[in-house]
Amino acid sequence: MEDKKVYGVRCKACGKELYPAHALCPECGGREFEPIEIRGEGVVLTYTDVYALPLDYALRYLRLAIVELESGLRATGQLLDDDPKIGKRVRVTVGVVRERGEEKIYGLQFVPV
Amino acid sequence: MREVAIIGAGMTKFGRSEIGLIELMSEASIRALDDASLGDLRVDAVYVPNMGAARLNRQTAIASALVDRLNLFPAMAEAVENGPASGASAVKNGFQAIASGMADLVLVTGGERMRAVNNLEATDFVASLSHPQAEYIYGVTLPALAGMFTRLYMERYGVTARHLALVAVKNHANALDNPYAHIQQRITLEGILTAPEAVVNNPYIADPLRLYDCCPVSDGAASLVLASREIAEKLGRPVVRIAGIGQATDTHAVHERPDPTELTAVRLAAQKAFGMAGITPQDIDVAELHDAFTILEIAESEEAGFFRKGEGHVAVEEGVTSRTGTLPINPSGGLKAKGHPVGATGVAQLVELTWQLRGEAGERQVEGAKSAFACNFGGFGNNVVATVLRRED
Repeated sequence: MEDKKVYGVRCKACGKELYPAHALCPECGGREFEPIEIRGEGVVLTYTDVYALPLDYALRYLRLAIVELESGLRATGQLLDDDPKIGKRVRVTVGVVRERGEEKIYGLQFVPV
Repeated sequence: MREVAIIGAGMTKFGRSEIGLIELMSEASIRALDDASLGDLRVDAVYVPNMGAARLNRQTAIASALVDRLNLFPAMAEAVENGPASGASAVKNGFQAIASGMADLVLVTGGERMRAVNNLEATDFVASLSHPQAEYIYGVTLPALAGMFTRLYMERYGVTARHLALVAVKNHANALDNPYAHIQQRITLEGILTAPEAVVNNPYIADPLRLYDCCPVSDGAASLVLASREIAEKLGRPVVRIAGIGQATDTHAVHERPDPTELTAVRLAAQKAFGMAGITPQDIDVAELHDAFTILEIAESEEAGFFRKGEGHVAVEEGVTSRTGTLPINPSGGLKAKGHPVGATGVAQLVELTWQLRGEAGERQVEGAKSAFACNFGGFGNNVVATVLRRED
């Protein structure tokens, strides 16, 4: 079965966590990383409702957000909340974020706690 | 390092073009070359900033095509792709070629034909500069990144929809006096903000940003001829010197920045450009900033050092940045109203400033301008080029 989780990385040398992944650690220059699952809870840093929809979407608008996770990492994803607010607590889930013909793309979706 | 001057400037009218990309760039080039009046001298290098010819116009190796159309053989030539900062990047390349002694005369011609595709395709084309796995797959577009940036900016610094609309009203008014501008339409605060029909005429694109907070999708080309200062003086052209250039990069994914309301690359690029020019933001008489979205004019004006962080919107409100203010910003109409053919934009900003410094900007002339600043903003601030120009008498 396909792995539908979303991963960042942790530097094996200094422990710095990054999302998305990089080839070199910005803290120590390390080159070896282990995957870390992007999960848990966080707060909405900012959000927008996109009305000028990109390709592949048939909706009235698409609600996107940057969320600050408890781990300190931040992530961009879709916000599934009818009453969005800056600072509101959300939980990370993974779902279909884009469909291209038959292809389903999985990614981060934030839901209210 | 040799000094470098701009000795020729020209552009096409921005908007919807009926002619192809190479023809469009050729037209701008001829205007700049005519303006430079080179006589028997030949251009020895050509830089062609462009972001999307391969995708939008199904054409590659466009620098060779432009050289061929203009019969500039055997000049060195290459296309320069650096996202929306391609234009000023290519001017930097031309500057380096002359400063190093590798070339004496350089043509930089940027162009884009974005309206060759529909709006959805054009938006997706620009969105493809975002992080493919961490941003793009979610439906992130440039307006989406700008919308999230704007909401946070409003929350932190007290910027309101009215401040954003004031930027649009100012830049649209400036564009009325610019015959090269894509949009020539007088707008009012009432019409785009307070009137009941504003919700229809000025719909949300990526809230809090509305239609009139966003630049249009444009076709167009802009061109500069650069020369060593020695040649510029020999030709007897008014010398507009490239006094400073700075460039800086930042994270690809916007959410990775320690403070996502800070445009660190703008600050660092501007500091480098001012340092190289040996002047400060207070010495600048006129500026062209990359207002692809109204909030960016405000944020860049702060990061460049013209106003303190969080006070750029106050300057707009007080008229400081209007054409008669103490620091006119975007007298050309900016990307907002002049238009934003991405590969042309960074060059077009410097075309406008060259005209301003020579006193050739017609109705939109900023009186007595001697020092000018441009900010060409790539990605969502992940690659920024700042340029300082000075009129030398």
